[in-house]
Amino acid sequence: MYSAIGGGVGIHGDFQRIDGAHLTGDPCLVLTTDPKPRLRWTAELHERFVDAVTQLGGPDKATPKTIMRTMAVKGLTLYHLKSHLQKYRMGKQSCKELPDNSKDASCIAESQDTGSSASSSAKIAQDLNDGYHVTEALRVQMEVQRRLHEQLEVQRRLQLRIEAQGKYLQSILEKAFKVLNDQAAAAATAGLEAAREELSELAIKASNDCDGMVSALKVPSLSEFAVSLENKNPSNLPAQFGDCSVDSCFISNGSLVSPMGVSSQSAAMKKRLRPLFGNGDSLPLEWMITNSG
Amino acid sequence: MKVPCTTTQAHQPPSLKHRATSFNEPKSVLDLGRSPSPSPAVNKPTPKSEVSAISESLFQSDDGSLHSVDQILNLEDWVWMRELGLHDDSTRIPQFNHSDSQLLPEFPPSHSFVPDDFSLSSDQFPNESFNSVALSNDFHHMNNDDFNFVDVLIRAADCFESNELQLADVILERLNHQLPYPTGKPLQRAAFYFKEALLGLLTGSTRSTHSSDVIQAIKAYKNFANVSPIIMFSNFTANQAILEAVDGSMFVHVVDFDIGFGGQWASFMREVADRAESRRVNSPSLRITAVVPEEYAIESRLIRDNLNQFACELKIGFDIEFVLVRTFELLSLKAIRFIDGEKTAVLLSPAIFQRIGAGFLNDLRQISPHVVVLVDAEGMTEGGTPSFRRSVIDGLEFYSTVMESLEAASVGGSEDWIRRIENFLLRPKIFAAVEAAGRRAPPWREAFAAAGLRAVGLSQFADFQAECLLRKVQVRGFHVAKLQAEMVLCWQQRALVATSAWRC
Repeated sequence: MYSAIGGGVGIHGDFQRIDGAHLTGDPCLVLTTDPKPRLRWTAELHERFVDAVTQLGGPDKATPKTIMRTMAVKGLTLYHLKSHLQKYRMGKQSCKELPDNSKDASCIAESQDTGSSASSSAKIAQDLNDGYHVTEALRVQMEVQRRLHEQLEVQRRLQLRIEAQGKYLQSILEKAFKVLNDQAAAAATAGLEAAREELSELAIKASNDCDGMVSALKVPSLSEFAVSLENKNPSNLPAQFGDCSVDSCFISNGSLVSPMGVSSQSAAMKKRLRPLFGNGDSLPLEWMITNSG
Repeated sequence: MKVPCTTTQAHQPPSLKHRATSFNEPKSVLDLGRSPSPSPAVNKPTPKSEVSAISESLFQSDDGSLHSVDQILNLEDWVWMRELGLHDDSTRIPQFNHSDSQLLPEFPPSHSFVPDDFSLSSDQFPNESFNSVALSNDFHHMNNDDFNFVDVLIRAADCFESNELQLADVILERLNHQLPYPTGKPLQRAAFYFKEALLGLLTGSTRSTHSSDVIQAIKAYKNFANVSPIIMFSNFTANQAILEAVDGSMFVHVVDFDIGFGGQWASFMREVADRAESRRVNSPSLRITAVVPEEYAIESRLIRDNLNQFACELKIGFDIEFVLVRTFELLSLKAIRFIDGEKTAVLLSPAIFQRIGAGFLNDLRQISPHVVVLVDAEGMTEGGTPSFRRSVIDGLEFYSTVMESLEAASVGGSEDWIRRIENFLLRPKIFAAVEAAGRRAPPWREAFAAAGLRAVGLSQFADFQAECLLRKVQVRGFHVAKLQAEMVLCWQQRALVATSAWRC
């Protein structure tokens, strides 16, 4: 219905009176850039309109259809003309001065207009009609915005919830680790001697083996070491159901070292083991345990 | 979700015999070194004729197939075990096996198996077509040999049902060779854990948790929560339903039947504190009563300490009490302290029904809870009392789905962590499921209806939240479905978690 063309209206001084045929002069319509484009009654277009109406014998005699034919502007529809004509008629009827130029719908119905401000009243009346559309569009837009806002809110809240849970799990993990360490430290002093020997043996193996490993598959020696340590600790003996190798790897790995991931476990373990070589064999077991806290 | 697989009684012995040669292929070289097990069937007192027939056929083929192990041996398994340093006989990790036990312990009387389903002649179990829509896609790619362990597992479940425990032991012993480790496809790993669970039923051994286990479990839980939406979906949907129900109240009391590690309440408290702050009111206080199993001492202590600390930081009044399941079983809701003026919310999971039935629901009216939220992350069947075999089959399917979804969600991550999650989080659930499988599980929907609970839908916020969560996870295959006021997180059309909210 609307033709998306811009540009000014070229009203030529003379136009032919035609019946149902368009001018070859090709006047263009000015459309607004709203999402829902509406016609802008420029001065020139309005002048043309007025001319046509005058030709047809005044606003009361002229009908939108005849005006359309008379004006012969491409893209101009009956709809445009109906509303414009109505406003024009209203403007023509009144003789009183318009108190204000507000676009208030209720005012328009009663307001009078001076003849000179025909275009402004026409514009106001047009805005009245358009106002309904605008309200509708606004309503839809508000609904969309509300939904969008709610989804953003959901996203934000979800993020906070995830963070809270993550923070909690991290802290409970650390606390659990600490609890275990305290237990291990308490019980480990019992089996100090025998463990130290095994420790030095396995430490050599461990430091040779581990080099930034990522998977538990490559820590057989570490796990053995850990298992032996575990075995010294009676209260920590896991009476595991179905104790297969994979299990013992997991269990012993986690119980001795920081729960930050296997690679850092190996690095940490390595760090602790190095002084073992430096100082010979006089490394107390407690040092190992407490250092892992 | 149900698998329409069936089996024929009459077909069992010949089919087992037929497959005996292939299904006895040693999956590990370990079996080469070992002498054939001393045919426990012979030593067992007066085996039934069926038992001896089957076991003889099994042991006969044992000797015959040793020479062709290289062809039969799965290359993948061999490589895996080699890396683990297990190819050497001397360093063989002690396998949990029963070949030493000559006398079968008496089956725990608390499990009353009703063999009503066992002799149904209408059951047909076609081997090749064990690929119903509901099952893992793995099936389509597996050849006939790989199906064996599922068949055998189900056969073992049958034995439990018909109280043929000796036969069950024999079968599970054989299954040990086929599934020595939790490796392979998800179905295989799930089958491994189910096998272990069934073995556990035989020996009646109980698992005791130690602090080292707890650490591993917490770590696994944390990783699980990070990679898979299952935990977050369960927790946050439930939280949202509870929040909406108790909103505005100064005193909130939650009765939690499945507290896990308490992570859910940390985010709940955060939410409560934020709301209070935005409304510029004093922070409300939260009270939690957690119904926990025995041997939960370590976890309870950790949860209490951590939630207390969390609440302190958020400046929320907080208190938590732990009630043993056993106590609750005896006293029902009288075991829990209720205070006037509180808004009460109840958070349930199917595990409690499996343990103590659903009778306590009838008492719920007396405490007039504002909301009862049910989170079913155990693939609970709709209703009726499934047979033991049915429960095992359903459970196998459910947990292999969970494992599949976990694998997909942690693509790119280390396989190591997947195994740990399965071992520390899923394994206990599988054990509990198998333990409860024999009991008559009450149809919870009927129980809910009988207690006067009616379902209320979950809000649009919960909807948006679930969708948002799935977008965050960025793994294809998960989706959320709404059926009859339930919100269900699915993995490829198979349900993983179903949450619903109820009012009295």
